[in-house]
Amino acid sequence: MTSAALFATSAALGLLVLLGGAYGVLYALGAARSSPSLTGAGYACYAGQLLLVLVVCLGSPLASLWKLFMAVSGVVYGFIPPATWRLLDSIHHNQLQ
Amino acid sequence: MYRSQKLALRYFIAAITLFGVMIAAGLLSALYYIDPALLYNVFDFQMAKILHIDTLIIWLLMGFIGAVYWFLPKELGREVVGIWVAELLFYVFCSAVAVVAVVFVVVQYGGSNEFSMWFINQGRKYVEAPRWAAVGVVAVVLTFVFNVTATAWQARRITGVLGVLILDLVPLAVLYLDAFPKITNMSHDLYWWWWLVHMWVEATWEVLIGCLMAWSLMELMGTSRRIVETWLYIEVMLVLGTGILGLGHHYFWIGTPQYWLSIGGFFSALEPLPLLGMVVHAVYDAGTHHMKTTNRPAFYWVLAEAFGNFIGAGVFGFMMTLPQINLYSHGTQWTVSHGHFAFWGAYACGVIAIMYLVLQRTRSAEHFDSRAWKWGFGLLNLGLVGMVGGLLIAGITQAIYERAEGGSTLQAFVAASEHPWFRSAMYARFIFGIVFALGYFALVYDLLAIGRRAAVAAPTQAAPA
Amino acid sequence: MLVVLAFLTIDSLDASRAGGRQVPDYDVINQHIGYTYDWSRRLEVPVIGPAEPLFGRTYSLQEASGLMSFGKLVIQSRACMDCHTFFGNGAYYGPDLTKAWLDPAWSQIWMPMTGSSTREAAMVAFLMHPDQYPTWTRRMPNLHLTRAEAQAVVAYLKWMSAIDTNGFPAHFGRIQAQN
Ligand code: HEC
Ligand code: HEM
Ligand code: HEM
Ligand SMILES: [Fe+2]
Repeated sequence: MTSAALFATSAALGLLVLLGGAYGVLYALGAARSSPSLTGAGYACYAGQLLLVLVVCLGSPLASLWKLFMAVSGVVYGFIPPATWRLLDSIHHNQLQ
Repeated sequence: MYRSQKLALRYFIAAITLFGVMIAAGLLSALYYIDPALLYNVFDFQMAKILHIDTLIIWLLMGFIGAVYWFLPKELGREVVGIWVAELLFYVFCSAVAVVAVVFVVVQYGGSNEFSMWFINQGRKYVEAPRWAAVGVVAVVLTFVFNVTATAWQARRITGVLGVLILDLVPLAVLYLDAFPKITNMSHDLYWWWWLVHMWVEATWEVLIGCLMAWSLMELMGTSRRIVETWLYIEVMLVLGTGILGLGHHYFWIGTPQYWLSIGGFFSALEPLPLLGMVVHAVYDAGTHHMKTTNRPAFYWVLAEAFGNFIGAGVFGFMMTLPQINLYSHGTQWTVSHGHFAFWGAYACGVIAIMYLVLQRTRSAEHFDSRAWKWGFGLLNLGLVGMVGGLLIAGITQAIYERAEGGSTLQAFVAASEHPWFRSAMYARFIFGIVFALGYFALVYDLLAIGRRAAVAAPTQAAPA
Repeated sequence: MLVVLAFLTIDSLDASRAGGRQVPDYDVINQHIGYTYDWSRRLEVPVIGPAEPLFGRTYSLQEASGLMSFGKLVIQSRACMDCHTFFGNGAYYGPDLTKAWLDPAWSQIWMPMTGSSTREAAMVAFLMHPDQYPTWTRRMPNLHLTRAEAQAVVAYLKWMSAIDTNGFPAHFGRIQAQN
């Protein structure tokens, strides 16, 4: 791997997870305050993640198996904030009964 | 207050003191990178660094142990069984740490014989303490496990959090036996050594802090037990599901088979996902409880724990965990950058949060707030982020110039270390280290002072013990 | 997960025992060791060459094992790992020692500097008195190694350089050609 590719790939991977965090935070804030604009910002972060996945898949020297993995986790990231939120909500509601 | 809880306070005092020693040793270690002639042949880098990382492990362990001794009697509504042994062992523990520290400073290292291993320095990272002291740690931890299980047994009561905790403490203690052997084959030595290091920080400790955070959330925000426990079970399953085989990210290059490249890469790349769940959870709690907490310092430190764990372990870990990248980042300041961020986020912030929580109870303060805690919080986190940023730059410089381009020879190592980016990063790390140290003083001042004035102003409240 | 880990552990320990698939036996110190690119695995691998005695002698397997056990004890007692990395694990103040045996610095810098005629003699001289033979400002301290201790360490480093580390460190062979 050339040093430029090394640097770019690793930065993309770090940013990918970071955007995942931002998505999680914004989505959760949006849901807590029922604010569509925050939720929307969350989805924008997720779109950024998908873009990065695309960049990694097309532009990085990672082996194809890792690229496949990145593509799949790109999809999985999309579900985590809403799924976690729903799960949290459901355990809170069970508790109220 | 239960005796067990008084013991907890003593553990916290010892932990905070060692935290200070750790910072001093860290600043010294960092100075060698700036002035390599410092104390040359008198007290060299390796000894300062040993003090730094060994005190790190010990103060966090003391924080954890203290936290459990605090929550346990509350959880079970009774005094901890065999508390006098625990009280006695606390002093044994502290004296042992002091003796080991003195030996490290004065004797430093011994000859090539078993005597050195037993009484001076074992020379294995994080577990350099000589074997006699390691026996002491085992004794303390076993007593601790005994206290917890026997108390639950006598109380004829087990809760979800407590059950998870007990199941977790057993492997945690067993793994520490890894601190003893002297294995000739370096590949085998490192194979087992990583069971200790990785399985502690990315499995058993992660579960332990999960239990402690569960108790904390119940105290801090009055979240109900059902919720906290359901969440804990899910977290534990995810953390262990990814973390156990995530161990493989340390088996890429130590003479173990090539299949670890795929296994380690795959499972450790999944490790950030549960951490993301925790971040969503933190926001959920903060949002639904409308930040109605009476203990803002503890609340902010809990938030710092969730975010720090995610960024330090999740983001910084993921940046270098795929084998194709790790080939170049492995064993550089990049690793140090991740190590600092992850330890700080995942564990140090959690322990500090619990200390604030406990202080509010002991000082029965209604108005539990101050200016100093904000200074401590701000400076410590700013200092840490600055250090970690500097180290990341230094690490990337090494990955590029020493590894990818230079080919890892001595000459390449020197070239990267003399590179202006690397050198400036070392200055930056030191300066932010000072900021961090200032934050520590603010923290200590605040821990001593917070809530006291309120207690005086409201003398009708139960007097703090 | 634990069951999978147990099976992998059994296999990995077997592969990485001295004499296993990845790790040569200790008497490999009697042979020449190189490090070159393997096109089929697409990474660098150690190459065990013809006989090349160490310190002018050939060690039996038993002698070599004894030497390694002692060498490891030297390494632990002086906490080398709190300055150096082995296979990239340890501390980062000093250079990585995984392939230290193959480092061109021995022939280019330290053999002339110490007036030694062989690589191993230069290594022993350096390890016994690193304070006398520095190459730059960040120096290694004198850890009071005896000659026997230094020799055991050299043997240990030679054996380590023959271990198949799946290509770590990369490109070491690039500047290696002339050595
Ligand atoms: C205080 C930190 C420190 C300790 C402890 C230390 N070293 Fe070093 N070592 C260094 C530094 C710095 C260098 C680079 C010296 C130079 O270039 O002048 C070095 C260089 C070396 C080299 C040459 C590496 C190469 O690739 O050319 C070897 C071999 C070595 N050390 C082995 C050891 C052994 C064996 C021990 C333990 C007995 C040890 N070191 C302990 C700091 C240390
Ligand atoms: C609580 C969580 C964590 C803590 C406290 C932690 C801490 C550390 C520390 C201290 C090291 C250096 C070990 C040493 O050589 O001394 C390390 C190495 C490493 N960690 Fe973590 N870590 C955590 C989570 C993670 C996660 C989630 C990942 C992956 C996504 C990860 C990936 C790595 C990798 C790849 C290395 C090896 C670095 C190298 O090649 O030199 N870590 N970790
Ligand atoms: C003033 C603050 C600090 C300074 C200046 C500092 C400095 C250092 C230095 C110089 C090293 C040696 C790295 C090397 O081998 O080159 C180190 C290692 C380490 N420190 Fe710190 N440190 C500080 C605070 C902390 C904190 C707060 C933590 C954890 C919460 C921490 C955890 C660690 C760990 C885990 C290592 C081993 C990392 C590795 O080798 O990969 N340090 N530190
Ligand atoms: Fe790990």
